[in-house]
Amino acid sequence: MLAIGFGLVTASVLAIAAVGLTLQVGVTNLVNFAFADFLTLGAYLAWSMNVGWHLNFWLAAALASLGVGVVAVAANILVIRPFLRRRTPLVFLLIVTIGLSLILGNLNLAIWGSGYRSFDLPNQQPFHVGPMQFTSDQFLIIGISIAAMLGIRLLLSRTRLGKAMRSMSDSVELARASGIDTDRVTHVVWMLSGTLAGLAGVVLALNLTTFDTGLGANILFVIFAAMILGGVGSPSGAILAAVVLGLATEVSAVVVNSAYKNDIAFLALVAVLLIRPQGIVRMAGKN
Amino acid sequence: MDQLGYYLATLVVYFFIYNILVWGLNMQFGVAGILDFTYITFFAIGAYTAGVLTAGPASATNQHYILGLSWPFLVAMVVAALVAAVAGLALGGVALRRLRSDYLAIVMVSVGTIVFDLIANNPNLFNGNDGLGGVPSPFNDILQLDPNTYLYFFVAFSGVIMVGLGLLSHRLTSSPLGRAMRAMREDLEVAEAFGKNSVRIRLIAMMIGCAYAAIGGALLIAFISAISPSGWLPPETFVIFAALLIGGRANTLGSVLGALLIPVIFVEATRFLPKSPSNPELGAALRNVAIGALIIASLWFRPQGLLPERRWRWKGPLPARGGQGIPDA
Repeated sequence: MLAIGFGLVTASVLAIAAVGLTLQVGVTNLVNFAFADFLTLGAYLAWSMNVGWHLNFWLAAALASLGVGVVAVAANILVIRPFLRRRTPLVFLLIVTIGLSLILGNLNLAIWGSGYRSFDLPNQQPFHVGPMQFTSDQFLIIGISIAAMLGIRLLLSRTRLGKAMRSMSDSVELARASGIDTDRVTHVVWMLSGTLAGLAGVVLALNLTTFDTGLGANILFVIFAAMILGGVGSPSGAILAAVVLGLATEVSAVVVNSAYKNDIAFLALVAVLLIRPQGIVRMAGKN
Repeated sequence: MDQLGYYLATLVVYFFIYNILVWGLNMQFGVAGILDFTYITFFAIGAYTAGVLTAGPASATNQHYILGLSWPFLVAMVVAALVAAVAGLALGGVALRRLRSDYLAIVMVSVGTIVFDLIANNPNLFNGNDGLGGVPSPFNDILQLDPNTYLYFFVAFSGVIMVGLGLLSHRLTSSPLGRAMRAMREDLEVAEAFGKNSVRIRLIAMMIGCAYAAIGGALLIAFISAISPSGWLPPETFVIFAALLIGGRANTLGSVLGALLIPVIFVEATRFLPKSPSNPELGAALRNVAIGALIIASLWFRPQGLLPERRWRWKGPLPARGGQGIPDA
């Protein structure tokens, strides 16, 4: 039962990251290999503000997440959009995002070094919910994740901006033809994706209690697995997949060596790609 | 002077090994268009396989590794190439069959992470994070050379292998097989419509590239007699990508130029960057920032690379519009 509790926390972290990635990939149709470095950057920005400037942890977390959002928008404007405008083929665009990942990831390493860090937080009280046990932070992580997911849900279903995003996810050309300012929506999507990545990085670091510059890269393929399992471009699918993978990885850690627990996510990824590449939640008009 | 000679000879061996590595990636990505984002994994498979085949039994050392058969190097190198090719076949057999290039790239990166964790966390396989050491120098049990003379012998030895693989790679690229690979890179469906079996041909490119990576790895472990996980971190794949992209894809000499410019001259020069005691990783981190910037800049300013692929051109008079003998509609 403890494992199920851990699984829910992992799922919460994963859901934030996977929704951030799937929104961006759905709208821009480009897999972003620098996404892991967004997570790491978020955790370190929050750490610098929390430990370096003695800011309240939650304020630091919010500012860091927004900071990563700004970095993501800048990465799109400075690097990715020029290549897209030139109609660079997909394989080279993927290499461009790898280049971006090398730059961002190694800037993280150059600035913050390779040592382990942890946030400055008051001592934790263990929390009991039925047979499951959480620290108060883990409980907060679940709460933040649910709030973020509800926010995204409302944004996508109730606002004009959200509808514009969904229509771009179906077809950019049609969206542009019907008068949607696709450039503006793309900026918003990168901002949203970067912010969610930053937030996911902070709560991931919080859950692990100590972290280093490998933070994001270590779980990148689990995030990819959640995105693909849920169907690219589908936030609700990504959430469902995050719950499945979060529980699967943590429960499997009871049986196998926990160093290999993320490999379960990889098996799920390969199985989905071979059997059902469109994901478990089928999107109308997406293949 | 002798020290300079020693240093330069070492660089030459690295240059030869990187030539082989870039040619292998060129076969996969430059010629066949396969995004092998975990190329360095096959290099590592080759290095470890050659290492445990040529080394003596592990019980004689304070390391833990499998096999330890004391095989002659050349046999071990061939087996290493075969093992990597089979690994490439297994991965390609799953990933190349039906995946778009972005999903393929995701699978590649994931496999790389998993193999890395498996080798680093498993001390009984190849001595885990401490790395495999004490691998014997090829032929030196017979030659009995002093280290300096042996170095020059190794320059010649790796040079012979390098030239052989270079000629082979050049022949393959311009062969009918290579043409089919290039056609598939440009348009998979058109090539299939002409009756080419895309899965089979791309798997061949994958296997050849993996074998080249493994031979490079085998030569490296024979040369420096050790390898550890920190020697083949994931970014190393992109150092080779950078060399290929900057030198020029699908051009044998472009690969040589790229190998000389990026892994040899550039990486070697950044070794002399000032070191910071507070952040020992600073040099390597800044080097990789520059590699990332170089990749993006080269794709922007010179996407075809310094020595572009030679395109076959029609020398005779141009056919009439609409094709030969077919009138315009």
